[in-house]
Amino acid sequence: MNGLELIALTPVLILVLGGTALLMAGAWYRQPDPLLAGGISVALAAGLSALLLTPPVQEIAGLFSSTPYARFFTLFWSLSAALMLVISVRYVKERSLPAGEYVSLVLFATAGMALLSSATSLIGIFLGLEAFTLAFYILIACNRHCDLSAEAGLKYLVMGAVATGFMAFGIALIYACSGSFHLPEALQGLAAAGALRPWGLLGWGMLLVAIGFKISLVPFHLWTPDVYQGAPTPVVSLLATGSKGAVAAALIGLFASGPSGWTDMTSLLWLLSALTMLVGALCALPQTNIKRLLAYSSVVHMGTLLIGLLCQTSDGLAASVFYVTVYCIASLGSFAIITSMADGTSEPTDLEQWRGLGYRHPVRCGVLTVLLLSLAGMPPTAGFMAKFAIFHASIQADFIGLALVGILASLISFAFYLKVIMVMFMTDETAPACHPGTTLEHSVLAICTGAVLLFGLFPGLLFDLIGSILP
Amino acid sequence: MAILPHIPWLTLLICLPLTGAMLCMLADERERTSHWLALATTAIIFVITIGLFISYGAGGAGWLLHEDAIWIDRYGIRYSLGMDGISLLLVLLTAFLHLIAVLASWPIERHAPRFLGLLLLLETGLMGIFLAIDLVLFYVFWEVMLIPMFLMIGIWGGEQRRQAALKFFLYALAGSLAMLVALIALYLLHGEQTGSYTFALAELMKTRLTLPQEILLFSGFMLAFAIKTPLVPFHTWLPDAHAESPASGAVDLTGLLLKTGVFGMIRIAFPLFPAATRFALPLLGILALTGLFHAAWGAYRQNDIKRLFAYSSISHVGLILLGLAAWQITAWEGSILLMLTNAIATGALFVLIAMIRQRTGTCQIDELSGLWGQAPNLSALFLLFALASLGLPGLANFAGEILVLIGTFQTHPVWASLAVVAVVFAAAYILRLVQGVIWGPISGTRITYDLTPREWLILVPMAILVIWLGLYPAPFLTPLHEPVQLLLGGSP
Repeated sequence: MNGLELIALTPVLILVLGGTALLMAGAWYRQPDPLLAGGISVALAAGLSALLLTPPVQEIAGLFSSTPYARFFTLFWSLSAALMLVISVRYVKERSLPAGEYVSLVLFATAGMALLSSATSLIGIFLGLEAFTLAFYILIACNRHCDLSAEAGLKYLVMGAVATGFMAFGIALIYACSGSFHLPEALQGLAAAGALRPWGLLGWGMLLVAIGFKISLVPFHLWTPDVYQGAPTPVVSLLATGSKGAVAAALIGLFASGPSGWTDMTSLLWLLSALTMLVGALCALPQTNIKRLLAYSSVVHMGTLLIGLLCQTSDGLAASVFYVTVYCIASLGSFAIITSMADGTSEPTDLEQWRGLGYRHPVRCGVLTVLLLSLAGMPPTAGFMAKFAIFHASIQADFIGLALVGILASLISFAFYLKVIMVMFMTDETAPACHPGTTLEHSVLAICTGAVLLFGLFPGLLFDLIGSILP
Repeated sequence: MAILPHIPWLTLLICLPLTGAMLCMLADERERTSHWLALATTAIIFVITIGLFISYGAGGAGWLLHEDAIWIDRYGIRYSLGMDGISLLLVLLTAFLHLIAVLASWPIERHAPRFLGLLLLLETGLMGIFLAIDLVLFYVFWEVMLIPMFLMIGIWGGEQRRQAALKFFLYALAGSLAMLVALIALYLLHGEQTGSYTFALAELMKTRLTLPQEILLFSGFMLAFAIKTPLVPFHTWLPDAHAESPASGAVDLTGLLLKTGVFGMIRIAFPLFPAATRFALPLLGILALTGLFHAAWGAYRQNDIKRLFAYSSISHVGLILLGLAAWQITAWEGSILLMLTNAIATGALFVLIAMIRQRTGTCQIDELSGLWGQAPNLSALFLLFALASLGLPGLANFAGEILVLIGTFQTHPVWASLAVVAVVFAAAYILRLVQGVIWGPISGTRITYDLTPREWLILVPMAILVIWLGLYPAPFLTPLHEPVQLLLGGSP
């Protein structure tokens, strides 16, 4: 690795070095406020460097790219991490979580996501994925006073370990088949491999299983609701957005780099996508815990995202990037609202605790309504344009059956999103008032809602950007 | 013609209620302020639409007003609005009924600013539906309208409000999503043929489709419109939604929401798919007749006055659709006129039912009796609107009904003869209602006061309109002439 490559890696270096410095500082200095402020500025600095610094080389050590696509996601995950740390400020203090470790782990995880989104090699994918998964093992279980948190951490660890196993073995098979870790060559090798081709396909299949665990495709989704329910809410806000989004971004990059080898997997992916959407939506219906409900909602979203990938057209990929971005914004905002309502001991997660809350906290419940409608895909929010783009791409690519399954799933999804809205506004005010939230938390909500409405009314802004960064 | 200065009137019609809605929501704590704000907004909009009606009431071919701009370049989606004679009348109706609805919602005390905000948001959606001529823009407004109605039924409705709201939303959404798939498919087919990808209605009409393709896409659009209209057998959501919604919500629901379905057929489904339309018209006619009878019978069996008029609306919509299915210019003009008159007459009845309920605490027919003895003015107006709804000559619905029947008779004499029988049915349930509620011995629930000045203010303009439309509907038929001729032009 030479100097130019190091310059191209600056955003990730800022995250990692900043995280290490804060970890050290946290060992000596226990005040949470400066540590969190430091974490937020490190994340913002990383985002800024990804935005402003034009990398001198396009690829780093044959593992990661520094194309505009990679920089876009590095910027996006850094901003998400910054927002996530902003909503963590009060949460960490009131629950006396160890601030130094918390902040540094979040930054390490962000570095992992940035690396994963820009991976151009199987090794790069593995490294990026493991980097943030390891950080999440600890983050999920970091609230030591909460049994559910420990349970969630253990579940994520076991599932994660299984997924890692699948991934490592899959990569080994792919290498055996194609003789390269580098993605374009590995994909071409798959198409060209003679007798070894079945093993190569098995390898890709195992890689897909590992990815399926991470972005919770059915039938690998079972950990999702438990982990979402148990983990500290700000951590979930990053888990639901960054960790899933980064894997999705890597998948999009993978599909963009070479379609040839994937045609054999089409029917498998079709089935995965259809199952994920339907099972996710049906499982969400009876949920009474809002975090579990959002967990299943994320399952449905990942299934819908897969439609865009399956199309393997430039429209489909652009639609997928749009979809991921919008999903992450709305999802982060929804968890931010739950966090802002949490006080030192409890947070409203059970729907019973949301009864009539629309009258006690009209602004935040109104904002949650907008964000949920965006997740559901209602115009004029960005969620509608995202869904529109995905269905457009799928009909264009002749996946009409899948589009119809998607329509059915989105109809079912509406029922459970509306359930939350109904509980907030159409019941008597029996739930006690929650924490009013701080100005910082409100500003995060304002950013998320503003973005959802802006990209809903003027989706051209985001589409143009995506059009210019897609490889 | 050019009395009005050149400003983007159509955009104004959409933006004004939206602005009003936001201001109302912001004035959350000050109920009086929000009431006056909403009243001022709706009044300004009404004045603008009257200005438009005076300027463009003479009708004309093509768009009377047209606005166009690029919205989402990537997909060729445009922000284009157009107004012809049909949308002119419906925009006027929307503005009028919202003014009435704001006045009628004066007694709502619980969270009034939000209610008014939602009412104005609904007006935005409706104006957009009647004016949009880009299919995605139309779809956006079509969906936007669902949320305020859902919240209005669900928050301010009766006991079963939550179920009713959810049922309304999911029914409507199922139709909308089918339409979304159909419109994307049509867009792609058009793009492949011509190379220009656009959602503009006028361009998409030129797409060449095979009959199976047309029928498939037509069914996608028609599902959305038939559910909203509602055409039997997709009507089961309506009586619940009606019975549970608050008075001004119900005015909106019958007066306007149901009309969006019919309007969608006229503006979008029929012109886009002429061959499929020709194929489907007999089926539409039969379903419309079925609806006419089924709903009339349903209305006869109801004990709840709100439900009775919900069924009566379905029955009227059956007649409107029958007129459309006849595919004849007189029948079409009658159908569109009937849309207006039915909206006004039924709207007034819902306002009156709310007044009766406010005074007696009930709207069950068997609990009410002898209203005339206690509140003669209220009863007289109730009688007037009930008779108008029944189609008494000289009152609003008569003109529309007779045009529909004459027109239908020329193409389908059997349908017309059957429809006449159904009109007699209408007389049966209306007279049963009037007999039970207005006359008879004075019941246990005492009414202590007759109409208040605010209530007079709501009902008198409606009464004048009902009589005017019954005696001299010509000014409202003139702008329809050319657009209807244009729409009927190519097909059967």
